[in-house]
Amino acid sequence: MSPSLPLAIEFLKTHQNPDGGWGYEPGRMSLVEPSAFSLLAIHSSGDKTGTAGGLDFLRSCQKGTGAIGIGPKDADGSWMSYAALLAFHELGAGAEEQRLKDWVLNFDDASGRFTKEEISIVASRYRYDASIPGWSWTPRTTAWVEPTALFVLALRAIGVPATEERVRSGVDLILDRRVPSGGWNFGNPYSKSFELEASTMSTALALAALGAAGVAESRPAVRSGLGFLEAALGGDISTASLAWALLALKSFPSGAPRVAGATARLARLQMKDGSLRGNIFETALSYLVLNDAPILYPVRGGKR
Amino acid sequence: MSRRGVTRREFIRLAGTSALTVWPAAALAGARPQAIKKTDAGPLLQVALVPCPDYGPETLAAAIRTGWRSSRAPDVRGKRVVIKPNMVDVSPDRPIHTDPRLIEALVLHIGDLGAREIILAEGTSHNRDAEDLFRRSGYEALAKRRGIRLVDLNYDDITPVKCANPKATLLREIALPETIATAEVIISVPKMKTHKLAGITLSLKNMFGILPGMAYGWPKNVLHWNGIPLSICEINATVKTHFSVVDGIVGMEGHGPVMGTARKVGVLVMGDNALAVDATAARIMGVEPARVEYLAMAQRIRIGSLRSDDIGISGGTVERVRTDFVLDPEYAQLRASRGLR
Repeated sequence: MSPSLPLAIEFLKTHQNPDGGWGYEPGRMSLVEPSAFSLLAIHSSGDKTGTAGGLDFLRSCQKGTGAIGIGPKDADGSWMSYAALLAFHELGAGAEEQRLKDWVLNFDDASGRFTKEEISIVASRYRYDASIPGWSWTPRTTAWVEPTALFVLALRAIGVPATEERVRSGVDLILDRRVPSGGWNFGNPYSKSFELEASTMSTALALAALGAAGVAESRPAVRSGLGFLEAALGGDISTASLAWALLALKSFPSGAPRVAGATARLARLQMKDGSLRGNIFETALSYLVLNDAPILYPVRGGKR
Repeated sequence: MSRRGVTRREFIRLAGTSALTVWPAAALAGARPQAIKKTDAGPLLQVALVPCPDYGPETLAAAIRTGWRSSRAPDVRGKRVVIKPNMVDVSPDRPIHTDPRLIEALVLHIGDLGAREIILAEGTSHNRDAEDLFRRSGYEALAKRRGIRLVDLNYDDITPVKCANPKATLLREIALPETIATAEVIISVPKMKTHKLAGITLSLKNMFGILPGMAYGWPKNVLHWNGIPLSICEINATVKTHFSVVDGIVGMEGHGPVMGTARKVGVLVMGDNALAVDATAARIMGVEPARVEYLAMAQRIRIGSLRSDDIGISGGTVERVRTDFVLDPEYAQLRASRGLR
């Protein structure tokens, strides 16, 4: 561990809001994703300061359906539920975890709403299969690569087997949406005759999810995705993308040679106040990835 | 990279129907920040059409000064001004995003006019990695150079705002970024581009980017499910754009707004009414604005006017700078005939 890494925890503790949650940046409104990751980071450090209040904040965001929105006032569930699922699991909020898990596993994306004709149009225009269930950013809309990857990661992390139907379907969606020349973007491999470009964050998340689900790196999608990621690491890369990329590299044996370099690079981004970019979520995520926090590294199994 | 996902509206259109959800204009009485009223004195709206052949700083500064003077620009003195560029993605090969040199010239101009605070704010639509996009677009360096705040609207604090459309469904309550909700002047600075889902994208469509991705997703898929024309109108009827500057120096034609190709026009289109600005820019692109679904809808709900008779144009004529953009074949019907107003 980098000697200055514990400062990240101090940064997080310092910037907990009075309502128990955290915003993406100090002094900003509490939201589920930065709150859940701050809780995970503080908890993984062995410190319990503020975790009860943080957990109460997450509980206040849970609806009767079990869903979690982006904040306490949301009427509906959202993609940020993935982060709350991890936090409930890791901090032992079993009842809340179970209710949320049920909601996530029964998530209502748009795949079941498309007609055969619509699915056919999507297949010809964007070249993916819109009938595959995955996860969308908000319920009842189209499933995309990143939210699907985040939920696959979270479900695997809390012990849902890779063979579980919804997880398998999520993996299928990710594989189906890959960009032919390597990597992933938000979820459209093509637009008519144009192959669309992959992006680093989408690719890192997709690979991390596939790794968590036990997809072999011999699969062409994984191989070409890792190739895209390695090329991306050769250039400028954002803090969050680097953190997710490091998680992805650690998820496959062939990523190992790049791990040390990416680790050092991410650690170097830490600022004097302990944060990365002054961003609470990125600080917590980086802390967890750099520390190999078990919650982000599910037990492998259920090879596909 | 594509700017859209799969949309219900698209399916409806491809299926050959034209069903469209429209709310009655009367329903908006008293709730339209962008609504206009006809007067007897002069043209209803004023748009500046300013030749601007390149992105040189002197050229831009002069063009913005000229356009500002002749287009009923807002008083920015002592105000908090938010500049909303268009940045769906960034590519070294294609002019996807509003050129930062134009933004910088605008920042300098507004600063000279005494704005209290200038903020550059965008909520990217597909790629949520704003740190990366802000850096590659040149916006981060610009913000540092000029000492202005650069805000990622996708993760900004949220203020719920009631939609101006009383019949709104998915956007009944709009989650508005605090930066936008507290802005005293909002300036939309889009790129002049074709759009494979909307036909063209200019100032009104640019406002998709104010809605936060953390609430609406990437792409802003809730807006697609709500219907793109309806979403554009609901957003713009609820949030006033005080001024628009269309970057038509180099635009994008063909498979825009991301995979198209560069098209030089050499013009800025500026004005205080976004619909009038868009209609004028559309005509410059060789598009008949009344055939663009969302522009026609915006006209019906009276958030401005697209009629030539209502728009006074200073600085030149549309015909002199008209540059017919290559349209996606699906939108061939938008093409204006020569002389069509």
